[in-house]
Amino acid sequence: MKRTFTNLLIRLADLLARPRCGLVAISLAVTTVALAQENTLTGKVSDSATGKPLSYATVLVKGTADATTTNAEGEFTLRTRAPLPVTVSVTAVGFGLLEIVANSNEPLIISLEESTTTLSEVVISSGYNVQKKESFSGSVATVSSKQLMNRPSVSFDQLLGGQATGIDIIQPTNILNNTPVMRVRGINSITSGLFPLGVVDGVTMFVGSIGGLVGNNPLSDINPNDIQTIDVLKDASAGAIYGSRAANGVIVITTKKGKPGKTRVDYDMWVSRSTPYNLPDLLSAEDYMMIKNEALVNAGKEPGYFPTLNEDGSTLNTNWYDVGFKPGFSQSHNVSVSGGTESTSYFFSVGYTNQDSYIRNNSYERTGVRFNIDQKVSKRITIGANATYSNGTNIGTNTGAIPANSMGPSTYNSEYITNEPLARMTYVLPPNVPVYRPDGSYSIQNGVSVGYGANIPAIIGTINAYNLAMVQTLDLNSSENNTLFGNVYGELEIVRNLKFRSSYGINNLQVLNKSFFNSVHGGGASSNGIARNTHTKFYRTDWVNTLSYNLTVGEKHHLYALGGYEIIKTQSDGWGASESNVTDPDYSNYQGRYTNIAPYGNFYSDNALLSYFANVNYDFNKKYLLSFNFRRDGLSALAEGNKYGNFGGVAVGWNVHEEQFFRDSFLSGVVGSLKVRASYGVVGNSEIGDYPAAGMYSSNTYGGVPTLGFSQAANPDLKWETSKKMDIGIDFTLWNDRIAIELDYYKNDVNDLILKAPQSLSAGIPGSYINSNVGSLYNQGIELGINAILINNPGFQWNTGINVSTLKNRVTSLVSDVFVPSVFGVQNMTRVGYSIGSIYAVPCHGVNPENGQMIFVNRDGREVQYNHIGSPKWTFVSDGKEAPAIDNYTDGVMQGPSLPKVFGGINNTFLYKGFDLNVNFTFVTGNLLYNGTRATNSDQRYFNNGEFIKDRWTTPGQVTEIQKLYYGDNVSAGFSFSATSKVEKGDYLKLKNISLGYNIPFARTFLAGKISNAHVFIQGSNVFTITKYRGSDPEVSINGNSIHSGKDQNVPPNAQVVTVGLNLGI
Amino acid sequence: MISKRAWRCVTTALICVMIAAGCDDDVLNTVPKTTIPEEDAFSTPGKIQAQVNNLYGQLQSATFYGGRLIVFNEQRADEFGQNDGNAAAGSAVWNQNVASTSEYINNVWSAGYSAINAANILMDKLKDGNVVSDSLERLYTGEAKFVRALSYFNLVQTYAKSYYLDKDGPGLPLRVTPITGAGFNDMARSSVAEIYTQMLQDLNDAEVALPANYATATLNATRAKKATAVALKTRVYLHKGEYSNVITEAQKLVPAAPPFQYTVGNLTQRLEASVAAVFSGSYIGTEAIFTVPFANTTTETPPSQSSLAYNYLGQPIIFLAANGVVSNPVFTTPADGRSSLVSTNSANQKVLRKFSITTAPFRDFVPVIRYAEVLLNYAEAAARTNDLAKATQLLSAVRNRAHPAYVFPDASVSTQEALIETILTERRVEFVGEGFRLGDLQRLGRTIPAKVGAIGTAPQVPPTSSNYIWPIPSGEISTNKLIELNP
Repeated sequence: MKRTFTNLLIRLADLLARPRCGLVAISLAVTTVALAQENTLTGKVSDSATGKPLSYATVLVKGTADATTTNAEGEFTLRTRAPLPVTVSVTAVGFGLLEIVANSNEPLIISLEESTTTLSEVVISSGYNVQKKESFSGSVATVSSKQLMNRPSVSFDQLLGGQATGIDIIQPTNILNNTPVMRVRGINSITSGLFPLGVVDGVTMFVGSIGGLVGNNPLSDINPNDIQTIDVLKDASAGAIYGSRAANGVIVITTKKGKPGKTRVDYDMWVSRSTPYNLPDLLSAEDYMMIKNEALVNAGKEPGYFPTLNEDGSTLNTNWYDVGFKPGFSQSHNVSVSGGTESTSYFFSVGYTNQDSYIRNNSYERTGVRFNIDQKVSKRITIGANATYSNGTNIGTNTGAIPANSMGPSTYNSEYITNEPLARMTYVLPPNVPVYRPDGSYSIQNGVSVGYGANIPAIIGTINAYNLAMVQTLDLNSSENNTLFGNVYGELEIVRNLKFRSSYGINNLQVLNKSFFNSVHGGGASSNGIARNTHTKFYRTDWVNTLSYNLTVGEKHHLYALGGYEIIKTQSDGWGASESNVTDPDYSNYQGRYTNIAPYGNFYSDNALLSYFANVNYDFNKKYLLSFNFRRDGLSALAEGNKYGNFGGVAVGWNVHEEQFFRDSFLSGVVGSLKVRASYGVVGNSEIGDYPAAGMYSSNTYGGVPTLGFSQAANPDLKWETSKKMDIGIDFTLWNDRIAIELDYYKNDVNDLILKAPQSLSAGIPGSYINSNVGSLYNQGIELGINAILINNPGFQWNTGINVSTLKNRVTSLVSDVFVPSVFGVQNMTRVGYSIGSIYAVPCHGVNPENGQMIFVNRDGREVQYNHIGSPKWTFVSDGKEAPAIDNYTDGVMQGPSLPKVFGGINNTFLYKGFDLNVNFTFVTGNLLYNGTRATNSDQRYFNNGEFIKDRWTTPGQVTEIQKLYYGDNVSAGFSFSATSKVEKGDYLKLKNISLGYNIPFARTFLAGKISNAHVFIQGSNVFTITKYRGSDPEVSINGNSIHSGKDQNVPPNAQVVTVGLNLGI
Repeated sequence: MISKRAWRCVTTALICVMIAAGCDDDVLNTVPKTTIPEEDAFSTPGKIQAQVNNLYGQLQSATFYGGRLIVFNEQRADEFGQNDGNAAAGSAVWNQNVASTSEYINNVWSAGYSAINAANILMDKLKDGNVVSDSLERLYTGEAKFVRALSYFNLVQTYAKSYYLDKDGPGLPLRVTPITGAGFNDMARSSVAEIYTQMLQDLNDAEVALPANYATATLNATRAKKATAVALKTRVYLHKGEYSNVITEAQKLVPAAPPFQYTVGNLTQRLEASVAAVFSGSYIGTEAIFTVPFANTTTETPPSQSSLAYNYLGQPIIFLAANGVVSNPVFTTPADGRSSLVSTNSANQKVLRKFSITTAPFRDFVPVIRYAEVLLNYAEAAARTNDLAKATQLLSAVRNRAHPAYVFPDASVSTQEALIETILTERRVEFVGEGFRLGDLQRLGRTIPAKVGAIGTAPQVPPTSSNYIWPIPSGEISTNKLIELNP
C-alpha cells in the first residue's frame, strides 16, 4: 500500500513538472479567455437595516471564478471577462444572498438584508477541509457560538446537550469540571474508548477524565468564548476522513478568526450564583432518633440514639447539607481583539474565569490566551498559526462523583461508595450529632467516626462516616492543567487550484494532581496523614501533509480532491509519590516532612498512528453530490500484521430544488430547497489502550526481592474494531425557508468489538480478561431537526428549534455477560439481545403486609422474603421454610435500557425590539435509572433516611412500600444487591436554560461609532425538571461516560444557576 | 515571478519530504517500557528467579494473605463481632449473606487461581527451557508445587463442602496446565477428593524437591523448604481426617521427646519462648515455618481495608465477640502470655492486638504455618488415634509456652472426647485471628454458631444451609459453561 501511494505521488509530481501535458492545456485555456473583452464592475454593499457599509462581503460573477470582497467602506471593484450582462451574487456572513444583473459598468448599489433563515451559508468543517452545507452530503450537527455564549460552565461540551440531534450529553453532577457523558449516536463500543474525538483547528484534543479525586476535563482548556462553531460529524461519510478515530463521532471545533476590517474589541463577562437543585428531604434529628430506635428495638436491641441538647435546652438538629453546601459565586471575563487586512487576519483573546460550585471549597480558576493568525505571504503562499495556552486549576474535596481516571477506555466508578465522599456524607451523617464541640474544635469520636453526640457507640455500632466539616476543610485535592496546543501551517498553491498544505500541531497537556488527607480524622487517619502528588504529561504531535485540488470543468462540474498523510504520536508519561506518616500534624502539603514515601501514579506509554487518506467531493451543477473518503490507518497498539486498517465512506446527495422539473412543479411554491442524501462507510476505534495485544510481565517485590509476574495475556490476532455506519437523510425548507427540516435515519453496526473479553476466573489470566475481537452491537435511530421562524415581524421575531433523536442499541454477540462484580450489587448488565449496560435487578414484589418483610422473586419464580434478624434470614413466602439467599447475578433480571430511547431539545428565541429571550428545554424518555441514592436513604444502619421512611411497615395488614425496619438491614432496600424497588423511569423534561437579554441602543448617543454593540442579560440554568423520577435529578451518571450508565448513587445534585452578564463590542 | 524551474524544484522537494516521512512506519513499532515482554520473561536466570519470587508475591495479594482471606475466614466464623456495617468492610460476609456477585467472592477465587496459573506457567517454562540448571529447575518446581497446593487448599476450603461432609461432592476446576491465552474457560469441577489428591501429590513432590534450608533466616521463613511442605501436609491430612498420616508427617518435624524442635543446618523450628515474639520483632523467628513478609513498605504492604491490624485493632472493623473464645479464662489470666494479645478499646470492646502496626504502611508479616500448629495438629491426630499421653504432652507444650505453670485439669484431658475438645479449644485460643476457626468447624461438619456484633446478630449456619460455604463467583458462572453451582 505504502509503495503504491508513493508511486502515485511520484507520478503526480512528474505530471505537474512536465510542461508538455497538464500545463499546456491550462495555458491554452488562458489564451482563449484572454481574447474576450474585459469588464470592470464597481459598487457598494450596505446593510439594508442600518445603511452602514458592509465590509468583506463576497462579490462573485456567476458562472465564473471572478470574485472579490468589499473594503472597509463596502466598496468593490471586480474585473471579469464574462460578457455583459452578468449576474452578480453578493453574500456576507449573517446576511442573505442577493443576486442582481449588471447590464453596464455603472456602479452597483447593493443592500443586503440580515439573514433570518437558518440555513444560509452554513459551513461545515471536517477539520481537513471546509464545505458549504448546501453541497455537503454527510450528516453533521452544527452548533454555533451563539448557542454556547454567555452560559456559565467550565467547558463547552457541558453545554451541547439538547442543542442538536444525535448528541446526548449528560452533565452528571455539579462537581466543577467533571467530564460529562458525551455520546454521538449511542454507545459504539464496550471496553474501548467511548468519547468522541475532539479536534480544535486541526489539533486533536485529549478527552476523558484525568483529575484524580476532583474533576478534570481536558476540554475545559478550550475557552468556550473562543469557539466559532462546533461541527459534530455523525455519519461515516463525514467522519471517515478521521478513519479509526471516528467510531464515537468527531467534534470539530473551529475557533474565532479575525475578519478583515477595522480592529474589533469584544468584552464579555458574566457573574453567577449556583445552589443545589432539589436535595432529597432527610429526617430531622427528632424523627431520626425515633426511626433508628424503632429499628434497634425491632432488632432486639436497646434504644441507642439520644438527643444532644443545645445550650438553650433545645434539641440539636444538624443540617449536614448546610455544612457541605453554600451558594457558589462565579465570574468570567473575556477580552478579544480581532481584525485584519486583505492579507492578514488575526484574533487574540484572553479569558479568565473563577468559578465556585455550591460545594464548599470547590473552586475552579482558569486563565487562557489564544491567538490565530493567517498571513498571505504572496499570491501563492499562505501561512498561519494558532495556539492556546491555558492554566486551569480545580480545587475541591473528594465528592466520590468523579469517575476513575481515564484517558479513553470507559471506567467504572467505585469511589462514590467509600467513606470519604462528600455527597454520601451529607446523606448518611446523623442529624443528632454536633459538628463542633463546645470549645469550637471538630466533634469527632476517633480517626474515622464523627462524634457520637449522646448516641451510645456500643449499641449503634461504628459510624463509619467522617465529620464532614473537618474533612471538607482540611482534605483538599487539586488538579491543575497547563496546556499548550496549537499548530502552524503553510499552504502553497503549486499551480492554480492545486494546493499543498503542511500543518504541524502539538498538544502538550501537563497535569498536576495533588491530594491531601489530614492525619487526625478521615481517610488519612490510618496512615497518619497522606500527601500525594502526581505529574502527568500527555504529549501529542500531529503532522499532516495534504494536496488538494479544486477543479471546475465547464460551469457544472465541481471537483474537489484531497490526499494526504498524517503521523500522530502520543506519549503519556506520569510519575509521582504518596507520602504518609506526617512528622507534624501542621503540615498540609506534599513538601512537609513525612516518614514514609512510596511511588504513586508512575506510568509511561506511547502510541503512534500513521495514516494515508483521500477525499474526493464532486458535484454536478450543485445538483448531484458525491463524496468519497478513504483512510488507511496504521496503529502501533495492534500486533504486527494487523496494524493497518482500511476505512472509508461514500455519500451521495441530490439537491432536488436545483432541478428544473422541481422548480416548475407546484411544490416549489411551498418547498424552498430539498436535498436527499445517503452515506455508508466504515470507521474504526483506536482508543484501545497503547499495548492491548502484547503479552506482558510486570515487576514488583516479595520480601524486598524482585518479582516478575504475568500481567497481561497476549493476543497477537487482535485486529481493528470497525463500525459500519449508514445514514439516509432528507433536508428541506418550507415557506420561503421559514421552516427548515432535517431528517435522518442511521444505523451503526459495530463488529469485531475489541473487548476485554472475560475469561473464567479459574483460568488465572491476569485481570481475567484478554483483549479480543469478540462482540458486536448496533445503534440505530431517527433524528429530526426542525428550525422554524414562527413569527417574523419587524418588531417581533420568534424562532424555534426542535431536535429529537431516537436510539435503539442492541448487543448482538458476546462470549459472555459483561458486568462488574461488587459488594453493592450489579446494577448494569451487558448481555446479548439487550441494550448495552441495561439496568439489571432482582424482582421485588414489595412488602409482605403480613409481616413487613420485603419479598423478592428468585430464579425459580418463587417468592422469598428477607428477615434481617431471622434464622434463617431467607424464607419462602408460601410456606415459611428456609430458602436459598437471593443472588444478584443468578436471580437478577434484565429490566430495560439505561440509554434513552428518545432525547432532544427545544430551543426558542424571541426578539422584541432590543430584547432577546432564549428558552431551552431538554428531554429524554425511555430509559431506566437505578436510584441508589434512595437505597442509601433507606438504609437501616446509622444512616439518616429520607422523609419517605416514615411510611414504614408497623402493623400487620398494612400495605406500604417501606419494609419493617430492622437495625443493620442494608439488604431489603436494594443497597447490597440491586432490586426493582429502586429501578425507576428516567423520563424528564427540563428547562435547561432561560435567558433574557437587551441590546442597549447606542446609535443615537455620543457613544455611537465607539461601541458597536452592548448586550446585557440575565439567565437561569437548570430552572426546573418535570419528571416522575424520585431522585434529585434524572440527568445523572455516577459512572461517568461508561457503559455502566443510568446509576444514581450518592451524587451531589445538579446546580441551579442564575447568571447576569454583559457583551460589549468596541 | 519565480521561474517554472524553481517551482519544479520546490514542489519536487516538498513531495520528496512527504514521501520520506510517509515511509517511516517504524513509528508503529512501539514497545512497553515499564513491563517485560512475554517472550523475554524467562530468558535469564535472574528473570526466572524473579518469577519464582512472584509465586510467593501472589500470596501477598490484598484479597489473599495480604489479609482479606484471613479476615473473611474470621468474619464467617464466630469469634468476632462486626462493628462496621458497610458492605465494603465485609458486613455481608459476617452476616452470612454473600451473593455470587460480591467482588470479594470473585476476588478470593481469582487470587487463588492467579497463583495457581503462575505456578503452572513457571513449571511448564522450566520444563521446556535451559536457562537454569537442572538442580535449580527441580528446586523451583518444588516451590511452584507448594504454592499451588497452598492455593488449592484455601480455595477448596472456601468454595466447597469439607472432605468430611462431602468428599465426592463438587470441588474445584482442577487447573494444572498453564493458561496464557483464550479458549480455556470451560472446565467442570473435580471432586473434593480429587483436589485433595492433587494437593498431597504436589506436597509430596515438593518435599522431595525443596531444600532442607536456605542461607538466611528470612529465606527460611518466607520461601518453601522441606519442613514447609511437611507442615502443610499435617494440615491437609487433618482436614482429610487421615490422622495417622498427620502423625507420620508431624513426626518428621517433632521429635518423640521434648524439647520439641526440628533442626537442620542453620534452621531450627520450635516454639518461640514468648508467644508475643511471634507477632512482633523479627516475625521470622524459630516458630515461623512459613510466613508472608510485607517487608518493602513502598511496594508490598497491603491497603488498610485488607490489613489485619486495621481490621482487628486500628478501626476496628471486627472485635472479639463476647461469647467467642475471648471469654476463655486464658485472656483474663495475666500469667498466660496470650492475654497480652487482647485489649479493650474505647467502645469497651475486646480487640485482638496480635497485629499491632495500625498505621499504614501495614508492615506486620502474616503467619501462614507456625510450629505451634504442627504441634496441635499432631496432638489432635494423636488424641483421635487414642494416644492421649502424646496428645496431652503436645497440647501442654503449646499451653505452657504461654503459661508455664499451667496444668490442664484432669477432666479436660483424661478422656479422648474431652481431650479432643480441649485441643480444639486450644487451637481457638492459640490461633484466634489467624483464620483457623472456620476451617476447624467445617472440617468436622459443625454448625457455625450465631454471633452478636455491633451491627446486629448473625444467625447460626448449619452445614445443610446454602451459605455454609461461599457461592461460586459470578465471574466464573458467567464464563465457564461447565461450572456447577453450589446448592
